[in-house]
Amino acid sequence: MARPRGTDGSLLASLPWTLGALGLSVAPHVPYLPAWITFAFFGCAVWRYMIEKRRRPLPSAWFRAALALACFLGVLITYSSISGVGPGSALLAVMASLKLLETRKRRDQFVLLFISIFLVMSSLLREQYLWSLPYMLGAVTVIMTAWLRMSASPIESAKQSFAIGGRLLLYAAPLALAMWIFFPRLATPFWAVPIDSSRATTGLSDTMSPGDISSLSLSNEVAFRVSFDNQIPDGPDRYWRGLVLTTFNGRSWTGREPAISTTARDQIVTEGDPISYEITLEPTRQQWVFALDMPVMWSLSKTFMGPQQQLARSAPIDQRVAYKAISHPEYRVEADLPEVYRNWYSNLPADSNQRSATLAREMRAAATSDQAFINAVLRKFNEEEYYYTLEPPPLGSNPVDRFLFDTRSGFCEHYASAFAVMMRSVGIPSRVVLGYQGGEINPLGGHLIVRQSDAHAWTEVWLEGVGWQRVDPTAAVAPERIDYGASGAALEGLGDAWGLSAPSELLHRLSLSIDALNAKWNEWILGYGPENQQNFMKWLGMDDPNWRKMMLTLIGVVVSLVMLISVLLMLRYRPPARDEASILYQRFIKKTGLEPIAGETAIEFGRRAKEADALPDDVIALITEAYVDARYGPYREPAFERLKVAVGSIT
Amino acid sequence: MQRGNTLETLRTSRDEQRSVIESAQKALGRIILGKDPQITLALACLLARGHLLIEDLPGLGKTMLAQALARVLGLSYSRIQFTSDLLPADIIGVSVFRQNSGEFEFQPGPVFSQLILADEVNRATPKAQSALLEAMEEYQVSVDGNTRQLPEPFFVVATQNPGDQIGTFPLPESQLDRFLMRVELGYPNEESERELIAGKDRRSMLEEIEAVTGPDSLMALQQSVRDVHVGDALVDYIQALVRHTRESADIEIGLSPRGAQALVAAARAHAFVEHHSGVYPDDVQAVFTAIAGHRLKPAGGTRFRRPSETCQHVLDSVAIP
Repeated sequence: MARPRGTDGSLLASLPWTLGALGLSVAPHVPYLPAWITFAFFGCAVWRYMIEKRRRPLPSAWFRAALALACFLGVLITYSSISGVGPGSALLAVMASLKLLETRKRRDQFVLLFISIFLVMSSLLREQYLWSLPYMLGAVTVIMTAWLRMSASPIESAKQSFAIGGRLLLYAAPLALAMWIFFPRLATPFWAVPIDSSRATTGLSDTMSPGDISSLSLSNEVAFRVSFDNQIPDGPDRYWRGLVLTTFNGRSWTGREPAISTTARDQIVTEGDPISYEITLEPTRQQWVFALDMPVMWSLSKTFMGPQQQLARSAPIDQRVAYKAISHPEYRVEADLPEVYRNWYSNLPADSNQRSATLAREMRAAATSDQAFINAVLRKFNEEEYYYTLEPPPLGSNPVDRFLFDTRSGFCEHYASAFAVMMRSVGIPSRVVLGYQGGEINPLGGHLIVRQSDAHAWTEVWLEGVGWQRVDPTAAVAPERIDYGASGAALEGLGDAWGLSAPSELLHRLSLSIDALNAKWNEWILGYGPENQQNFMKWLGMDDPNWRKMMLTLIGVVVSLVMLISVLLMLRYRPPARDEASILYQRFIKKTGLEPIAGETAIEFGRRAKEADALPDDVIALITEAYVDARYGPYREPAFERLKVAVGSIT
Repeated sequence: MQRGNTLETLRTSRDEQRSVIESAQKALGRIILGKDPQITLALACLLARGHLLIEDLPGLGKTMLAQALARVLGLSYSRIQFTSDLLPADIIGVSVFRQNSGEFEFQPGPVFSQLILADEVNRATPKAQSALLEAMEEYQVSVDGNTRQLPEPFFVVATQNPGDQIGTFPLPESQLDRFLMRVELGYPNEESERELIAGKDRRSMLEEIEAVTGPDSLMALQQSVRDVHVGDALVDYIQALVRHTRESADIEIGLSPRGAQALVAAARAHAFVEHHSGVYPDDVQAVFTAIAGHRLKPAGGTRFRRPSETCQHVLDSVAIP
């Protein structure tokens, strides 16, 4: 058997660039990849570099095959699937790492850089943030540079390659823009990216067990943004209805799966002025659709109203969606509720939270009416020693009892749950609504930002003749939570805890600016879907835009852009003037510090410069060769370019 | 055979041509020791379709070089020893009356060869000299009213002893102009001389030389030489050199336009031999003395004793543009 030959070190100069480009394209995947793949990538990268540096042989084909099989199985075991964005990108990343181990020639490096391009683009299948575009541009520029480094002459500096790579991308930019504008967006795409079901959902969960949560982490992530057509409602009116929980088992509240109700919308009797607005909802991977309490119209397709006036879409919200809606802050719902339903909404498990039930019955007996009873309970929360905290103690098996009588501290879910249980104990129909409350106005974008930290739970009770009525017991305990919103309240608390004042105004402004930018980005760039494209095409004067017309326009635009760019480049192109090469050469002569002699040819001078060790031999050889060729050879331009690069590298 | 890729073919043929020239240089270098520049010049001269004048003292290998050239290039060869009683017919040939056919039949002279060695050309009378020189110019000879084409390619390699020897008829300037190059061989260096003295007999080595090419491919090489690129900057340089020969106080008569053309042609051939992408100033400098040495007339009272010194001075005085 032939002895494995070591690498010849010819890739040593360009390999770090290739590794860097590959690293940049793997980086956006790292938060989603299992740790072992990231380690595998780093391991392979370092290993490959050391092989090249020490001129060691590459691992044998058998070893590589075994490793590839192991990694394939590893991905299969980690994801129990090989299709979808997650397993797909994991497989791509790990195979790119292994490809490093058989990268022997330039051709293999090309393959690696192709994979880099693919990897960096595939990260867009997951998320498209504001920073994705600059990151993508940077990464692709580095990949281009790595590409150029492979064929760069030894004295071409990285800066020069980088500049060439950037320039090439600049030429491509108008084409990319044209593609983006004209490539037909289809309302029903030919293909869809499979979304990982394993991915944790953000947003609200559809059960509520306040006793089990000992600490609520505040996420600053944006849940949705709202832009109002007219004025923005006041803080205390901003209740964003989500899902409704109707069943309590003694510990936790649960709701029903999203289901359509044909009568729910008709049960709403509106009063007062409507509010019109547009919501841009971040993907939740759930079906719930949020709207200002109480929505009556909404523009999101396939979205229906459930029996408790909750909105849901028939398919999970996997991508950012924007929809218009109209709500009435003043409304009545189901003024007459049949006996059966009243019992349903008053149902409690028989032998749990007995102390609370007893307390409720006592208080109801003392009150003159249901409304008076409600007020009495709210007053109890307000006047007695109840605290609003995000870090409540665990509550055990009878959470409501323990909360009401012992711990007396909790957040919205605790109060909503306790309140609803007390209402149900005396036969008043009640339910818990989950959604968001409040939101921060971004003065720069003029829109309202609702964050995950604005998530809220409140109750609705049904009263004879009034219908379902919103009661927020948290407001009785911590009115500032409702007035200023959770973020403000929490930030102040945070500042106290750390012994700091509230975060500086500047930082806050900065985050607001970024948010405004993000909102515009979502609206104009990511929101450029079928509908916006149609409108834009119409605005451009295309009547009845369809994909055929757009495709033809795209081809036309691309062809004319290519021609335009070519013509511009041709016009800009100026063959080097006769003396330009000698001007460059004079700089080289100056750099050598030698006096030129009359009648001495460039080749003779080069020989003399080499003997004098004025500059590295290869630099002298390259410059001399390029100069003589540029000055006296038949193909002056390429030689002149070589000369320019070579002289540029020494000055 | 189908030639698919023209560029590829071109490149291959260029590589082949290069290897032909390299092996010719090597073969000649084995015979003529330590004279690589002169060998290169001689090859360049033939590639530029020029005639070569080798001038030096007897016994320095002039004849050997001419014979070796003929053998290496695979050309038909004849030698004419010029003497004071040489007649033109001895060079060109004569018509002989054949009794059995009753007709005159032309007996071609030694000039009907592809490579002629005109040995000691300055020993013959001007009449005999001009017979050869006319053939060199016209590539044909006229005998009894008939014009006869000389074979192709046609080279004359003439040798000449320096004119200060007794019983010679030095070639006039106008005749010298017919030779593209004049090359001086000079004494060999010590090492080469030792090898000459102690080593194998040169004449028997000459017998062993194999031709590396033939007349047809030699003509193809000549055609390629004409395609070697001459850039504007190089034309500037040639003009500057020519102007200097005309304006210099050391030179009475400078280079003529034909001399300048000869310089370019020779430089092209030299660039081709050296495998340069175009004609470089180095090529011009390499052939300059061989081209200009016999075409310049030094001014009286000049400080330079030899033409090569004059030429070197020209090269050293003219800046390369």
